[in-house]
This record gives sequence, C-alpha cells and structure tokens, in this order.
Amino acid sequence: MAASLTGLLKPWTPRVLLVRWSRYNPYYLEPEPRKEVYHIPETELTPEQKEERELKSVRPIKAATNSVTSSVFNDPVLSKFVNMMMKDGDKIIAKGIITQTLENMKRKQVEKYHKAPEGKKAEIECNPYAIFHQALENCKPVIGLASIQKGGKFYQVPIPLTDNRRRFLAMKWMITECRDNKHRRTLMYEKLSQELLAAFSKEGNVVKRKHELHKMAESNRAYAHYRWW
Amino acid sequence: ILKGQRYIYSTRLSGDSEQHQGQYYTVPPSHFHTVFPHGLPPRYQQQVKTFNEGCVMVRQPALELISHLKRADYSKPTLRYLLYGVKGSGKTMSLCHTVHYCSTQGWLVLHIPDAHLWVKNCKELLPSSYHASRFDQPIQASNWLRNFRTTNENFLSKIKLRQRYVWTKRESTEEGQPLGELVDMGVSRVKSSSDVVGAVLKELRLQAGGTEGGFRLAVAVDGVNGLWGRTTLKKEDKSPVAPEELTLVHNLRKMINNDWCGGAVIATLSQTGSLYAPSSAYLPQELLGEEGFDSMDPFIPVPVSLYSEKEFESCYLYYLDRHWLQHPHSQTEEGKKELIFLSNRNPSVLERLCAFL
Repeated sequence: MAASLTGLLKPWTPRVLLVRWSRYNPYYLEPEPRKEVYHIPETELTPEQKEERELKSVRPIKAATNSVTSSVFNDPVLSKFVNMMMKDGDKIIAKGIITQTLENMKRKQVEKYHKAPEGKKAEIECNPYAIFHQALENCKPVIGLASIQKGGKFYQVPIPLTDNRRRFLAMKWMITECRDNKHRRTLMYEKLSQELLAAFSKEGNVVKRKHELHKMAESNRAYAHYRWW
Repeated sequence: ILKGQRYIYSTRLSGDSEQHQGQYYTVPPSHFHTVFPHGLPPRYQQQVKTFNEGCVMVRQPALELISHLKRADYSKPTLRYLLYGVKGSGKTMSLCHTVHYCSTQGWLVLHIPDAHLWVKNCKELLPSSYHASRFDQPIQASNWLRNFRTTNENFLSKIKLRQRYVWTKRESTEEGQPLGELVDMGVSRVKSSSDVVGAVLKELRLQAGGTEGGFRLAVAVDGVNGLWGRTTLKKEDKSPVAPEELTLVHNLRKMINNDWCGGAVIATLSQTGSLYAPSSAYLPQELLGEEGFDSMDPFIPVPVSLYSEKEFESCYLYYLDRHWLQHPHSQTEEGKKELIFLSNRNPSVLERLCAFL
C-alpha cells in the first residue's frame, strides 16, 4: 500500500507538502527512542521482538518529535510541565526556566543540608526531581466538579477525575499561581521554586486551592446522583 | 562509593604541590573575604555559598605558573604570563588559584577582576583634572580602591610614599605618609579616585623591587584584552572614547609594561566580556589585536585546556561527595558517559549541567 503517494494524484498539488507533522497515515509506526532495545543481541530476541523488527524494516516510521530523547535524564512528567509553561512555542525559554527552578531548589536544599546537624541531615530531601514529583502529587485533587444541567438550572456535581485530568489540573494551578500571585520584580523560577518547596511540605496556595475544591465537592454531596456515568 | 576512591579527591590539602594534580584543596573561609572580595566568577561564588566551603582543583596551568613564580629572578624586569584557552576552560579559576598562592606567600596582590568593566557601561565619565584630554571613572576607581584596601591591609601601613601628591588647592598628601592614607583619601574623595589609583600604581611600581623592606608585587589582570580594544563609551558629542583616553586604562597599561622589577604580571584573556570580538576567538593574537600583542610581547603563554580524564573523574567525585549530583541516573555509569558527551569535558558547561541534574 503506497503510504503517502495516494494523496498526490490530484489535478493540483500545493507547492509545500507537509512531511513531518502529528497527523499520519495509520500505516506509519511509532519511533522507538530507548537505547536498551537496540542493544539486545540477535540471539536473545524473543519471537515477538523478532517479528516486530521485521515489521519495522518494511513499514515507514513517523518522525520523532523534538522533545523525545534517548537520554537517561528524560522525564515525561517534566516534559509535559515544560510544554504547559511554554508560550508562543518558545520551548527554549520554558526549559530554561524549569532548569533554573530545579537548580534553585537544589541549591536551597543542599545549603540547608550542609548547615544542618548530623541527626537532621537524613530528613532533608535534596533531589529536585523527587521534590517536583512529590509536590505535584500533593497538589493533585482527588475529586472534581462538573457543571450539569438539570431542570433548567446548572448544578456543581462532584465527579471522579481521570489520572491525566488530575495531573493537568495540578500543573495548571501551579503555573497560574506562579504567574499571577507574584511581585513584579520576582522572577518566575524563584517563585516557582518557592511554591514547589511549599507544596512539598503541604503548605502554600496551590495545596490550599486543592483543599477548597475538595470542600466544595463535599458540600455539594447531595447532587452526586445527578451524575449519570 | 567514595571511601575507596578518596585518593582522587581530598580536602585535607593545603599546599599546591605537583603530586596533588587533579585533587581539590580547600581555601580557608577567612581568606575568602580578604583575598577575594572581588575576582571570583559569580557561579563559583554561588557554589561556595551552597557547599559552605571553597574548594579549588589543582590543575596543570596553575601549577606551571606557581613553579615559574618560585624560580623567577626578581632583580630582572618583570615576567608577564598570559593564560589563554577556549571559553569556560578555567582561566579565571587558575588566576584566582595563583593569586591565593601569592597572598599566602606574603606578596602584595593587585587584582583587577575584569578590565572589561572599565571600558563599558560607565554611567559617569568625568573629564580628568590632571590631564586635559583624559576621562575619569570615579565609581569604578573607588570600588576598586575599596577592594584593594580589604586585600592588602597589612601592607598599607608599611609602604611610605616617596613623592608629594597635590589633589586640590587645599588637599595634598605629603612624602613619607603611609599608603593607607592615600587609599582612604581615594575612597572618600570619589572625584579624584582615578588619579589616586594612578598614584598608587606608580608608588608600588617604584618600590616593588627595593632592597630595604622590599615586597613582591603580583599584578593579576582578568580580561586584559579589554585594555587594547575599543570601548562602548561615548563623549558628549557622541564620538567614541579610545581606551588610552581613560585614566584607569592608561595607568594600568604602564603597570603591565615590563620596565619595573620585583614582581610578576599574570593576565588572562577573556572573550566573554570583550567588546567587538567574535565568540570563536580565543588565541592571544585574535583577542589582543596588533597593538595589544605588541605591548604584551614578550610574554609567557600558558594554555588552559579542558578537563583531562583524571580531572573529570575528580570533579565528578567531588560533586557526588557534596551531594550535588542528585538525579538517580547521574550517579550511574550511563549517566556519567552522557555527562562526558554533553559537556565535552568543558569545566563551565559541566558545572551548568550538573546544576540541574
């Protein structure tokens, strides 16, 4: 089956053809960025893996996006956060802000670590990635609200949220909080590191917002049966 | 992981001997405020604050400089050493290492943190009172004098002036007064601080090689290529100012000439702060230009290279020991190989990578 040539047999073809974008013919296969897969020697492949390799040698493969790396330091949650922070497609600035944030968090924690007495050293978490993940976990709401229409009025009904939705809400709240409630002169990475460290210890405005959502859901318990799914 | 590998990294060194190449030695905390009020790279200062200690790696260029300084003949005219290398290879850190060595040996250190700061971004440019066509920079001069005073407290009372200096109709500094008075005057009377700098440099030049109460003078200039390029400063009629027309630059150039004896001039080239120089330039010929090269000629060039394998190992283990490399994957072999690949063993690039990993 000709992969992309079927579209070209038209009376008029545009001068510029899109070659690499996110909508592909289903014939195309996903790229494999992980290095370990390619290091397995021929003899140790299972029959499924051998079949997969043969398939990949005949079928065309989608182009990998710029955010996909084979690096060991690649973190999908962090990449999602960078994408959400990005404005006007400027990933360099967004990635720069996130790296400065991680560095700032690590500096504060390592300074505290070196100044702390021996007994307290084990309790201080210095890994910025661990802090980031834990802070995000602490900001994720458990239950959400949906606006459901019943009898001409709209009610705020508590609904369960999917994992993706929860992660999205946590990141969105974190970013909007840091963009809105900061002093004109504080830089984004400084404010973001303060908020993440606060969320890590379950304080701060983002965690407060999560608790308020939970309280609203609790107060609207009576309308829970308006949900039909 | 580190108990067995401590031979590469140890903080219990105080001297700078040849066998400790690749290892770190600690600068005592008291020395930081006296020897380095200015002059350390800003990222290194942040690192000192975070780790609560200042460790410098003993590297080959610094050791070479120190061995030259030990064996030089100080009755002959001054030798000039020039550190050059690609961006981020450790020229400023080697200079600071040598400056620390000189101050522990009791030399008088004249450390100009960055000559480029004197040829750009000057808010106040006063016409000089001493010479009609020159310009003064009061803020930069008084800042530098303040830092000079902190560095060389003990010399200020010992050195006596050999000439009478007249500042205004009522102010003058007499012969035989200690240098400290001159410096204090420069710091308080900001308007004549550039001329005070010139006077201080002249006095030190005359007295450095002296047999009675003689001291050794180390002139350490970072970014020496700024003295011979162009400036971004403009006169009131919007015409550009040449570097010779600035008092500070004029006096510093006289210092770098090798017509005095009893000390050494250690200089570093720097592309980072330089004006109108391409970013790929790092060799002395390219950065100093014709005029600069002719003035610096003859000099002893000291190339500063990127980290060798042993030095990289040492740096990696130091960061691990100070709990700086926190990412779980950065502590594995795979992560280390990736760090080598990404940084190409360039010290500053490695530092910036490890900052967020």
